[in-house]
Amino acid sequence: MNNMATPKMEKNIAARGYTPWSLLGVLVLIGILFAIPFFVTNRFYLSLVTEILVYGLLAMSLDVLLGYTGLLSFMHAVYMGIGAYTTGLFLIFIDPTASIWVLMLLGVFATAVIALPIGWVQVRTGGFAFALLTIAFGMMLYTVVWKARNITGGDDGLIGIPGLNIGLGSWVLGTTKDPTVIYFVILTIVLACFFLTWRIMRSPFGAVLESIRENEERTSFIGINVRRYKLMGWMLACSLAGVSGVLFTLLKCSVSPSMMDSGAGGSVLMMTLLGGMGTLWGPFVGAGIFIFAQDYISTMTEHWMIFLGFILILLVLFMPKGIAGLNAFSFRKSKR
Amino acid sequence: MAAILEIRNLHRHFGGIAAINGLSLTLSENVLQSVIGPNGAGKTTLFNVITGRLHASSGQVFYKGQEITNKPPNEIVRLGISRTFQKSSIFPGHTVFENLRIARQAKLGGSRRIFSSKDRLKQVNEDTRLILERLRLADQAKTIASTLSHGDQRVMEIGIALAGSPRLLLLDEPTAGMSPRETERTAELIRNLAKELTVVLVEHDMEVVMSISDRISVMHQGLLIAEGPPAEIQSNELVREAYLGKEA
Repeated sequence: MNNMATPKMEKNIAARGYTPWSLLGVLVLIGILFAIPFFVTNRFYLSLVTEILVYGLLAMSLDVLLGYTGLLSFMHAVYMGIGAYTTGLFLIFIDPTASIWVLMLLGVFATAVIALPIGWVQVRTGGFAFALLTIAFGMMLYTVVWKARNITGGDDGLIGIPGLNIGLGSWVLGTTKDPTVIYFVILTIVLACFFLTWRIMRSPFGAVLESIRENEERTSFIGINVRRYKLMGWMLACSLAGVSGVLFTLLKCSVSPSMMDSGAGGSVLMMTLLGGMGTLWGPFVGAGIFIFAQDYISTMTEHWMIFLGFILILLVLFMPKGIAGLNAFSFRKSKR
Repeated sequence: MAAILEIRNLHRHFGGIAAINGLSLTLSENVLQSVIGPNGAGKTTLFNVITGRLHASSGQVFYKGQEITNKPPNEIVRLGISRTFQKSSIFPGHTVFENLRIARQAKLGGSRRIFSSKDRLKQVNEDTRLILERLRLADQAKTIASTLSHGDQRVMEIGIALAGSPRLLLLDEPTAGMSPRETERTAELIRNLAKELTVVLVEHDMEVVMSISDRISVMHQGLLIAEGPPAEIQSNELVREAYLGKEA
């Protein structure tokens, strides 16, 4: 096959970022990520980095919707909440020694079951109406969780969720209460989700989503059932958010309804915008900046959101494509 | 010759205004049929109803004997009716190649594949290259569509429609805003297309219409007032009154 590659094809491959160098870069980055616990020995900061991974996954899942399909969701954190509550409730009331795989399956399943009928309604609209519906359904779900005291603990949320023992067969890595162990677990799952999503976005299916973002009407006039693909994009985004919810519960060992409120929804949106829509790594950068800023500025003032709002205003005015939009960082240079 | 499209007593109202007012039309296969008429005659509305962009108020549309009235656009496209729009409808942020590739993918299938790379749809990519060459856009394959010249965008949109392998192609003012040279090239392209499929052309450039059409329908206030070969239409009194006379 090699000798069949024409210069044209090679140019194509290079333009898409498939050079040996970028592969090396990715491997080095993965290596650094796995080495972080050996440098960051402060338990608090390691947990903060882990939190960035969890919220980065959530922001990335929102980007599947926003940056790839062109649909805006103001309340995406709600679907993280469903995954988080499912995991917490299962560990508290049903099986405190459940395997992480069972929890993942359950979390994604519960999120999908709830997201499907909502998505079915939402994809009948687009643009502004879609965004408004995400608020309406999101507030409904939030209120249900908040008011169902006897199950969800209402305002108090779920606390004292047991940790899990992580291992393979007879080999035991440790418990999720150990910051290093939970870091490795979450990093592995987040990386798996990242590469899975990356693969999906480059597939023929991903190309359909991007066409919907570019021109919904034209997409239906090339013979594509736009609603069906919008629904599939929605389900993918919500399922990934569900995974981030499972990871959240494992990391925090507690769940509170505030993770599902409109402020949380806005925060995720800010992470995605900050990092840059339309790339999968941008939202992780956005989540990193957001969470570090939150931690750092809130040591000085509790009104840290004012500063964040200010940064966001500057961003919208001067850097509408976020950090990923800066050309030096852009993997999608060829698409400029 | 078998009818590829048959319209029976079609109405379309906007509030109290009738844009299409009881129109009937039968279209034969492999002809280039132009639809002319003054602004507001209902030409674009006719396209919109045929292609499912607008619902009919009443009446029926048949494609190859099958009723398609009020079907969703994507189903109508799949049956073999593609169109372009008065205002180019393209994927502005995509490359020219991707604009056509996604349309070809939609036709040939594979959109449900979620794990394989889109580059591996070999037939889709091959066909896309052929269409690009036919449109003489091969050199601009990697250009972002929104940066193309207006004329090239309009030609590319014809390519998007062609990628669906239509049997019936509806072109809404394809040469609007084009330079004389681009218009000439596009007219030639349309003439060639009509050898393989049925083309319905809405066009204001009378020179183009008269030189390439097999037959011409004249629309006025939501109705067809004349139908025939170009020479006949040119000498038709009614047509002169309704349309040509005003311009001459």
